[in-house]
Amino acid sequence: MLDPTVAMQLSKYSLVASLALVVLALICYTLVLVLKRSVHPAPVMARTGGHTGGGGIATDELPPPAANASPRALAQYGTYFTWLGLAFLTACLFFLTVGTGHGPFTNQYEFSVSFAWGMLVAYAYFEHKYHVRTIGLLILPIAAAFLLYAMSMGTTANPLVPALQNPPLLITHIAVAVIAYGAFSISFAAAVLYLIQPPEGRPGLPKPAVLDEMGYRAVIIGFPLLTLTVVLGALWAEQAWGTYWSWDPKETASLFTWLIYGAYLHARVARGWVGRRAAWLLVAGFGSVLLCFFGNLFFGGLHSYGNTK
Amino acid sequence: MSQDVRTRPADSGDRASLDGLDGLDGGPSVSATDVLDRLWRFFISMRTGLLLILGLGLLSLVGTLLAQAPAGMTADPAAYASWVASIHSKYGGWTPVLDKLGFFSIFTSIWFKAMTVLLTTSILACSVNRAPRLWKIAFHPRTRMGETFFTHAALRANVLVPTEPEKAMDNVREVLKSRRFRTIADPDDNGLNLYADRFRWGPFGTVIAHLSFVVILLGFFLSATTGFKNTDFTAPVGSKVAVGHGTGLTVEAKSFNDAYYANGSPKDYASDLVLYKNGTEVKRQTVRVNHPMKFEGVSFYQSFFGVAATMQVKDAAGTTVFGDAVPLAWTSDDGKKSIGKFDMAGKGLEVYVIDVASGQVDPDIKAGQVELEIHQAGKNDPIATQVVDQGKSTTIAGLSYTFERPKQFTGLIVAHDPGAMFVWVGSTLLVIGLFLVFFFPHRRVWVRVRKTSGGTEILCASTMKRDVAFEPQFHQLVTDIQLVGSPVEHHTKVGQNDA
Repeated sequence: MLDPTVAMQLSKYSLVASLALVVLALICYTLVLVLKRSVHPAPVMARTGGHTGGGGIATDELPPPAANASPRALAQYGTYFTWLGLAFLTACLFFLTVGTGHGPFTNQYEFSVSFAWGMLVAYAYFEHKYHVRTIGLLILPIAAAFLLYAMSMGTTANPLVPALQNPPLLITHIAVAVIAYGAFSISFAAAVLYLIQPPEGRPGLPKPAVLDEMGYRAVIIGFPLLTLTVVLGALWAEQAWGTYWSWDPKETASLFTWLIYGAYLHARVARGWVGRRAAWLLVAGFGSVLLCFFGNLFFGGLHSYGNTK
Repeated sequence: MSQDVRTRPADSGDRASLDGLDGLDGGPSVSATDVLDRLWRFFISMRTGLLLILGLGLLSLVGTLLAQAPAGMTADPAAYASWVASIHSKYGGWTPVLDKLGFFSIFTSIWFKAMTVLLTTSILACSVNRAPRLWKIAFHPRTRMGETFFTHAALRANVLVPTEPEKAMDNVREVLKSRRFRTIADPDDNGLNLYADRFRWGPFGTVIAHLSFVVILLGFFLSATTGFKNTDFTAPVGSKVAVGHGTGLTVEAKSFNDAYYANGSPKDYASDLVLYKNGTEVKRQTVRVNHPMKFEGVSFYQSFFGVAATMQVKDAAGTTVFGDAVPLAWTSDDGKKSIGKFDMAGKGLEVYVIDVASGQVDPDIKAGQVELEIHQAGKNDPIATQVVDQGKSTTIAGLSYTFERPKQFTGLIVAHDPGAMFVWVGSTLLVIGLFLVFFFPHRRVWVRVRKTSGGTEILCASTMKRDVAFEPQFHQLVTDIQLVGSPVEHHTKVGQNDA
């Protein structure tokens, strides 16, 4: 098998490559937005006006094929760069796993990279499904920030303390969390784009109805997975610490997150909460996801690995 | 009816008639049924549920951001007071206010409990309210729709086919069946009607998910009120220690091993345990972190470890008053000393055994020595304090004390938690329920087939409330119906594509 030190090096190179590609994709999308705004605001407006309530959602907010080809080509490059960035980040995590001998989920460095990976996976999926590249303008910078944050910390392959020596639960508990967090980042981006627009929409941006739908689709993926994360965490806590729930700060932060998204799901069908208020809950929800993530650093408690003993 | 009661002005004539109706004499105009009705509608309201969830969320946030008193500390007023004093520097003048509000033990506070009870009530009320409707939609669905539905539904399509209506309907049925739809035919004067649906049990996921949340809460309640949990169970290597709590179990630690990585971080803690029930060996296992031992609902978890001092105490006649290993499981406030304690109830004495904590140096207690602090039971001031050497008997206040040898002890959590089962069952149901709701939405299609001048018209329609993902599938269904209905066109189309 691959030598661990070589694997760690390859992992670092992949991380740098991934970051560069994410930044390139971001540049492409930004240019697309700039070009679209200066050249073709009209088609989108016409579409918004023609949208009838019962007709469902149109999923393509890009200029129609007849338009100048260059923004479209740029957008396509953006997508390719994103995919390639995701591929390199996947390689990064793979080499990290080989290099450390365990799932890449045991310290802030590994978890930052994993979080960024979750965001890119979720973004690639939603972009593919809804063709709404505009959310990339929000997701990609956050993902890039996490990669930079990871790089600033550097990695040391710490051996696992006894509590973490539970490969099946280490992998499932955190992998599921990473995907859930990634999905929530999508709903956050959709909510932000929803909130910065007037109800009838704004030229050049995805339609509010599409964003509302996308935010919801992301939550219905994220919420069951977050639930599963908490349940698996409880299962693990029961095996390692003798109690399924001990009101550890990370646990209470997860409970808070779970309740916010639970509230969102109910808000979406409650009178007076549909639309903007629901979107605000998505913003708050992602804030609590970040609280969960960075909580490790200042909460102390059972999840404060890396600086105990 | 109750709606009328509330909105009616409370003039005397009306009240008289109302009183007669409700059997209340001269009381306020709000009757018992009215109150119940209001309560019922309060609890089944989505907004109530939403606000309760947000309220609980807010309390959780407080509990996340503010320091929380360690579990069980509130039961010990002195310890709690000193803990509150220790966080005073962090919250300053707000400390007493936050303390009064119960914010330092938010998850056992009256606020949290009350909200949980209200939410549970709301969940139960909503489930009772909703279940019959879900049942009806799943098992006694409306099999035909009015004409306006086919012209106004969110998803709708008209297909013209050259075949006879009966044949066309058969084709539609086949298409739907091949996509695993259940079909129910229901012809009437307007033509042939068909109702088709898929995942009709999906919506029950919401009932399952909501009720499972209640099951989990029940589990938390049972965990808090039944069973037992001993977090500082110490077993010196070689000694047998009773579990108590009526279990009849005794634990013997045959050995304890701690291993470390090259960088000094811990690698493994392992206790070889033997379990006896009423004196008979029933189980033997190496217990590690992540690998507890379980027997008849009692679980043993590796938790901590330390040094024990084997002590022997004899009276003047040479009779052994005490002889056992004393785990030095406590650490002094400054972290420099390890402390253990044993009682000699017969003599009315309590003895503290004090050693230098691992990695510390103390000028008074050297290697191979421990300090003994002997108290009259319940008294604060010791009657004697003396450092004793290993293996040498020292007589203090008429008793002969011997520190025989140091030993390792393993620290375990021993717990019996009948609530845990409810939590696991509830959690499993919760996850299943959520996946059902979100990934198996009930999909319904209504079809009407009738003869027109140009052939047979097929009307298809569906709702897609909160299920946008169904839109492309619906259109695919319609396309399939079209293709099956007009095989000639089908071939033409393929030909065109090829060209």
